[in-house]
Amino acid sequence: MLAIALACAQAPKPETVGAATQQLTDDAGRNVTLPARVERVITLAPNLTEIVFAIGAGDRVVGNTSYCDYPPEAKNVAKVGDTLQPSLERIVALRPQVVLISTASQLEVFTQQLQHQNIAVFVTDPHDLDGVFRSIEQVGRMMDQDQQAQAVVQKLRERTAAVEKAVKQAPAVRAFYQVSGEPLYTAGREAFVTDLMRRAGAISVTGDVPGAWPRYSNESALAARPDAIILPTGGSMGAANSNVAEALRNSPAVQAGRVYKINDDHLARPGPRAVQGLEEMARALHPEAFKQ
Amino acid sequence: MTKRVTLRRTLIACGVLAVALVVAIVLMALIGSEALPVRASLCAIGSLGTNECGLSRDQYDILFQIRLPRILLAAAVGASLATAGASYQALLRNPLAEPYLLGVSNGAAVGTMVALVFFGANEWSRPVLAFAGALVATLAVYQLARGRAGATPERLILAGVIVTTFLSSVIVFVTTLMDATRIRSFTFWLLGDLSGTTKTLLPVAIAMAVLGTVALTLNARSLNLLMLGERDAFDLGVEVGRVRIVVFVVASLLVGSSVAASGSVGYVGLVVPHLVRLSLGSDNRISIPAAALAGALFVIVADTVARTIIAPRELPVGAITALIGAPLFIYLLKRV
Repeated sequence: MLAIALACAQAPKPETVGAATQQLTDDAGRNVTLPARVERVITLAPNLTEIVFAIGAGDRVVGNTSYCDYPPEAKNVAKVGDTLQPSLERIVALRPQVVLISTASQLEVFTQQLQHQNIAVFVTDPHDLDGVFRSIEQVGRMMDQDQQAQAVVQKLRERTAAVEKAVKQAPAVRAFYQVSGEPLYTAGREAFVTDLMRRAGAISVTGDVPGAWPRYSNESALAARPDAIILPTGGSMGAANSNVAEALRNSPAVQAGRVYKINDDHLARPGPRAVQGLEEMARALHPEAFKQ
Repeated sequence: MTKRVTLRRTLIACGVLAVALVVAIVLMALIGSEALPVRASLCAIGSLGTNECGLSRDQYDILFQIRLPRILLAAAVGASLATAGASYQALLRNPLAEPYLLGVSNGAAVGTMVALVFFGANEWSRPVLAFAGALVATLAVYQLARGRAGATPERLILAGVIVTTFLSSVIVFVTTLMDATRIRSFTFWLLGDLSGTTKTLLPVAIAMAVLGTVALTLNARSLNLLMLGERDAFDLGVEVGRVRIVVFVVASLLVGSSVAASGSVGYVGLVVPHLVRLSLGSDNRISIPAAALAGALFVIVADTVARTIIAPRELPVGAITALIGAPLFIYLLKRV
């Protein structure tokens, strides 16, 4: 018995010994040592899955979450649970060289457990669009797909610049981002979507509120008198969050008919499709700027 | 004590508390994440909303559509939970009996959850199923607690803990099956959240609080005798079985309507009746109606803290009541 136990404890040693390695610093400030080219990766959030596929390394994703539904091929990858409750056993069984985590999922204990299993963990935590681009480049480096990643980022930067140029002359719209109506949640200072709104020619009325997704006061929402309301809904959200919160029913935004439903998958996932969300938001807020 | 003296004491104690409650409602209506002009607000409240007194449309809406309904809901929830707690404590002769600790709140929470999952669009289903859940949990705890030696205080609390943890795991199980966006609002709601005041549930909660308190106060004399023990009460002519059913059903209605409207606000049913008894004595004819008024006061103040302390963000009111309630609970436990 003891011999078996010992053998098991020693068996899954990482294959990094002797092989070429690379050192990367993740968004949590941790130094992560990885093989020079990662061959097996598990992505624990949909935006990370989308990033790995976008840089042409989708075939090296050996596991992802039940929320990972884009691109369609991502659905065929082995599922390790959802973002909040991944299965440690299944992750270990899939023998990843690195597990990519989005801090939105707050998995501190889980990260430690993975490290005890000698599985490297890389944390991404973008607070703005540049942070998203940096995530893409970092993932490109670890997957040895630098060029592809840079090409992707280059394209995204061009599209972003085009949007910013188009809305530059338009007056910024005071907008409220409704994450959910009851209870009322919004996007705060640390949410990357607040940066996305700025670039789309809007000023988030809750852009100074501490935190990423604060629970927000009904009366403050009413008093903010937003001229537009962004409702992230549809996509994997289904019909959820498709109604304006009670407190905003008489807002200037509703009276002017400026309530814009935007695919939540484009706004809530800090990945390549965030730029699509940016374009959709800018076109909704400033239709006149895109008439050509 | 003669009947007349009791009546007078009840009227004085409740009169003072009622005045304090009205003052608190008005004062707390002046406090919020958005500053409103004090004099105009007082004038508008004084006119019961018929006169805008120079408030802007938005200010008027904040005061009458958001703040006051929420304060009234806080009052209804506080009164309901405190009254339910006071009568459980008398009926079960157990100073620690409380809707939250007995698992009754969790029973109502499971009922509300079932309503949300299966009849989401129908708001009326929430208080109805919350009531059913509360009643089932109450009966389960009572049956579990009744050993051969009767329901001792320890057995009762243990049974409550068992039912509470069981129902908590039911809640965790169901929330795990829900999608991520609904989980977020749910965890907030479970801790007690008064922000989701609706035009349907607010009148239900207020009506229940008033009717329930009256019904339980009418049984207060029987509850006084029950505090001597069920057998003695029976010998003195109390219909023990009937009183027990009345208390279980009415308290379940009170807990059900408040949980359906605001989630599980903990410790109100424990702290408030104890404080009332400490200052007014343990005659239920005084302490039950007084607990209702004091409970309303307590939750109004706690919720004002919850909605202003980190404004414009908010805390769940249950976090505040527990923060005040848990240390008080420990203090009372040491005295018992």
